Amino acid sequence: MTSMTPTPTGSVQERALDTRAEELEREKRVLNRMNTLRMWGKTALLGVILFWCLFPFFWLIMTSLKQGDPALNDPNLFRGPFGLQNYVAVFQQDFHLNLRNSFVVAGMTTILCIAIGSLCAYAIARLPLKRKILLLSAVLAVSLFPPVALVPPLYEVWRTLGLLNTYEGLYLPYTAFTLPLTIFILTTFFASIPADLAEAAKVDGATPFQAFYRIIFPLAAPGVFAAAIIVFVLAWNEFLLASTFAPRNPEVAQTVPVAIAAFTGAVEFQRPIGTITAASVVVTIPMIIIALVFQRRIVAGLTAGGVKG
Amino acid sequence: MAETTVTPGRPTRSGNGGRGSPRPVRQGLSERALGKVFVSPSIILMAMVALFPVLYAFVLSLYLYTRRQPIGFGGIDNYVRALTDSRFWDSIQFTFIFTVTSVTAEFLIGLGFALLMNQAFRGRGVTRAAILIPWVIPTVIAAQMWFFMFNVTPGFINSVLGLGNFNWLGQSGWATFTVVFADVWKTAPFVALLLLAGLQTIPNDVYESARVDGAGMFARFWYVTLPLLKPAILVALLFRTVDALRVYDLPQVMTRGAFGTESLSMLVQQYVVRTPNPGYGAALSTLTFIVVLGIGIIFVRLLGRDLVIGSGVEGGRR
Repeated sequence: MTSMTPTPTGSVQERALDTRAEELEREKRVLNRMNTLRMWGKTALLGVILFWCLFPFFWLIMTSLKQGDPALNDPNLFRGPFGLQNYVAVFQQDFHLNLRNSFVVAGMTTILCIAIGSLCAYAIARLPLKRKILLLSAVLAVSLFPPVALVPPLYEVWRTLGLLNTYEGLYLPYTAFTLPLTIFILTTFFASIPADLAEAAKVDGATPFQAFYRIIFPLAAPGVFAAAIIVFVLAWNEFLLASTFAPRNPEVAQTVPVAIAAFTGAVEFQRPIGTITAASVVVTIPMIIIALVFQRRIVAGLTAGGVKG
Repeated sequence: MAETTVTPGRPTRSGNGGRGSPRPVRQGLSERALGKVFVSPSIILMAMVALFPVLYAFVLSLYLYTRRQPIGFGGIDNYVRALTDSRFWDSIQFTFIFTVTSVTAEFLIGLGFALLMNQAFRGRGVTRAAILIPWVIPTVIAAQMWFFMFNVTPGFINSVLGLGNFNWLGQSGWATFTVVFADVWKTAPFVALLLLAGLQTIPNDVYESARVDGAGMFARFWYVTLPLLKPAILVALLFRTVDALRVYDLPQVMTRGAFGTESLSMLVQQYVVRTPNPGYGAALSTLTFIVVLGIGIIFVRLLGRDLVIGSGVEGGRR
């Protein structure tokens, strides 16, 4: 474009240049308009994704606030009366005990998984190990195990050991099942920490173990945190083992998903829509907050681990 | 700290106890020994709670039971019974149909979402947060939610679509559809998340040079995006497939297995508590294990190279 700056003398040429400049200007304007249009179009399409992800929760919350059968059985979301009756009913059915059980089970799973898994991941990422490939294949194989394969044999073992309807009976298998994921995620994070740091620590007289827990572990904290959230969510949501090993009794070990699946109404075989939706909202809101607050961490962890849903 | 062995192959850090060094060096475990110590808790736990039960299931599956009482050695009797039971084949059929349809739909929708999010400038952060929400809530809640939305009362979906009293959950075919639909709703965003991470590793220059070479939008997608996204796609497909084969929560809560929606996992679980038969249940669980792990291993074998390359890309990005 700079070649145009010296103005030629011929008037015809001048006019030609003028129209050309105008054309360019117009083209640019059209392009600009198209770009803004396209940008708005794309933003609108994002609306589709938001609708997909969020609308069912709008339905859930509206339904949970409805009171009485006529309102609850009406497809119209804005048909009242509205109130908190369903929520009162949920906690009258000991739902707070289910919440406690789920917290203990998911919390213990997280603690065990991180404690055991971070050691293993560090060894794989940084320490000299024989048969590393074999170990990784074994870990991958466990991550492909169908949990139901454990149900009949573990049920027999747990029955003998008296571990049915206990916290241990749940968090031990949960830990075994989420360890592979923890190891994959943490190996990626440990591998991203420069090896020189541990070397430097050793030059300064630290033992290999000190190098791990004084230097490397704190540096991997964001990764450890990401893994911890993901493990917690998976353990919190588990249903198959929980419903088999602790199917009843909120006082003992029945977890939240089992309770939500098992709520019964006044009539048997009738699902109480009000209680179930209210309990779902009680569980969903903290989970949504976790998702929003730790979004970056969770995404980083999930993509580092590769991995499963 | 009884072990203070130092591997002979590492002379740089020998000096057991730091003889002659200017300050006292606490040697602790050598790296090689530490590696073994660090790895063993994980291996022991996984062996005890994952590997041992699978072997024990095989042993159980060789015995015959009446309710919980063993009545003798049956050899392959339980397997013969399973393989000649039409219920077993029905559950295999449902599990496979569920897996193929849900994984296909999740992949296509997830890819669409990922491409949209990768293009947009505004609202990407909000969308990325929202997309986590279906993943983060318990599957049981998603199942109950979609059960009530599809159910005749209150009939929300019927009223939106103007279908009157259409019974989605009470007829075969449509019951399967609702279960697949709920799974796609919950997991397509998650697939989108994995694919979006893959898309963001593709450098912009590649698109620029393709554009300069005159590639249109479709050509850029087909010849640039897809091949470069292949590792992420394969990983997502592997884990989604194996996960779909184990499906339990959704059909259990939505249809209780009625109208041809009983999955393999549900069939196994039935013989543990409801109609207990440890031998037969263990035979079914062993068959399930072989089917699921077999498909997983075929997948890993097929993609072995790409999986490794994929994780290489992943590591390089950090």
